[in-house]
Amino acid sequence: MNCEDYRQAIATEPSYDGGGAHLSACADCREFREEMSALDQKIARALTISVPELRIPDLPAIDTTGVVPLAAHRRFRTSTWLAVAATLVLAAFVGIRMIGGNVTYPTLADEIIAHLDHEPYALRVTDEPVDDRRLAKVVPASVAAMNHDAGLITYAQTCVINGRKIPHLVIQGEQGPVTILLLPDEAVGTPVPIEGDSINGVILPVGGGSVAIIGQRDEKLEAIQQNIVNSVTWST
Amino acid sequence: MNSSDAAASRRRRFDELVGVYHPDMYRYAAWLSRDRTIAEDVVQESLLRAWKSLDSLRDEVAAKHWLLTIVRRENARYFERRRLDTVDVDDLTPSQEALLANEPDHELDDMRDAIYRLDDDYREPLVLQVLMGYSTNEIGELMGLRQGAVLTRLHRARLKLKDEMDDPAASGRQP
Repeated sequence: MNCEDYRQAIATEPSYDGGGAHLSACADCREFREEMSALDQKIARALTISVPELRIPDLPAIDTTGVVPLAAHRRFRTSTWLAVAATLVLAAFVGIRMIGGNVTYPTLADEIIAHLDHEPYALRVTDEPVDDRRLAKVVPASVAAMNHDAGLITYAQTCVINGRKIPHLVIQGEQGPVTILLLPDEAVGTPVPIEGDSINGVILPVGGGSVAIIGQRDEKLEAIQQNIVNSVTWST
Repeated sequence: MNSSDAAASRRRRFDELVGVYHPDMYRYAAWLSRDRTIAEDVVQESLLRAWKSLDSLRDEVAAKHWLLTIVRRENARYFERRRLDTVDVDDLTPSQEALLANEPDHELDDMRDAIYRLDDDYREPLVLQVLMGYSTNEIGELMGLRQGAVLTRLHRARLKLKDEMDDPAASGRQP
């Protein structure tokens, strides 16, 4: 790959993660990449205009007699035995909560715990990182900038918490997978503990928003918290 | 499920969807039309159309793409109906100016102005990629373009914005 090819790729998609060999040998292209990345941050901020309050128009009555209920969508992965072993305790916790039927969420912490129930497949032990493009899609520049100090990110999905789309990430901790929820619109004044039978976590205030970090019961979260807080910058 | 329950369930589903995706719908409409008032009209029409055809959305995972496609079509219909003239950036109506409302951050102001000046063909794929998180394949699908054309437009859009931000005088703007 030469400079022209590399710059074309970067200008098309600043999160492009190929051309590593060229990048390591070319200081000019490294500088160009940084410039384009900074440019994209500015573009994202400029595009993120304020949104007026939602007004629902008068909706006509619809004949629902012929409507067929949607099939439930659920995505399952083939897990390794290692993943099964590492998440067995958490799965038991999840199962117990699921049996409970409909759950209301009086607090943000409760909703977060409930959300973990819905994506147990995210919690697998793996050393396979999410590729940069996927990460850029889930954590777009319009939401936050994340540097590579966050840790080994093995899962990235856009989810909904409190009616807002948020990035749901998983990194690999010492004791197993650790869930990271970036909550730019959920301000908390002080750290809010998240506790369950097999998990421990916290919602940390970060800038005008917060970040939820939830690991297994015996996971030491302090170092992870510091890395995450240092690696996340809200865009708005 | 009786008819009343089905209607209530349908309404709940609609409210949940638009509650989540309304900001994306509005921002997409605003950058397509470059006018906040038109964007609000387009979103209203889009919500109505989404409500009527909600049962055609079989997979919630596709909801965002489905809603943005509706917004795109409604925006095109709006301009077909009105046969609006091309906007001259130096002669804006108050509602067009509202999109470029002055920010305390002048650099942000300049960038918004530069994006506003981009040709529609360049601005739209950039909005879809940067703001909506779309892949180039998804942009091509929504805009009816081959991937090569999407790549070219994104590349040119960024270089144009970079040039404008590096040298505002060259673009005819006041530095």
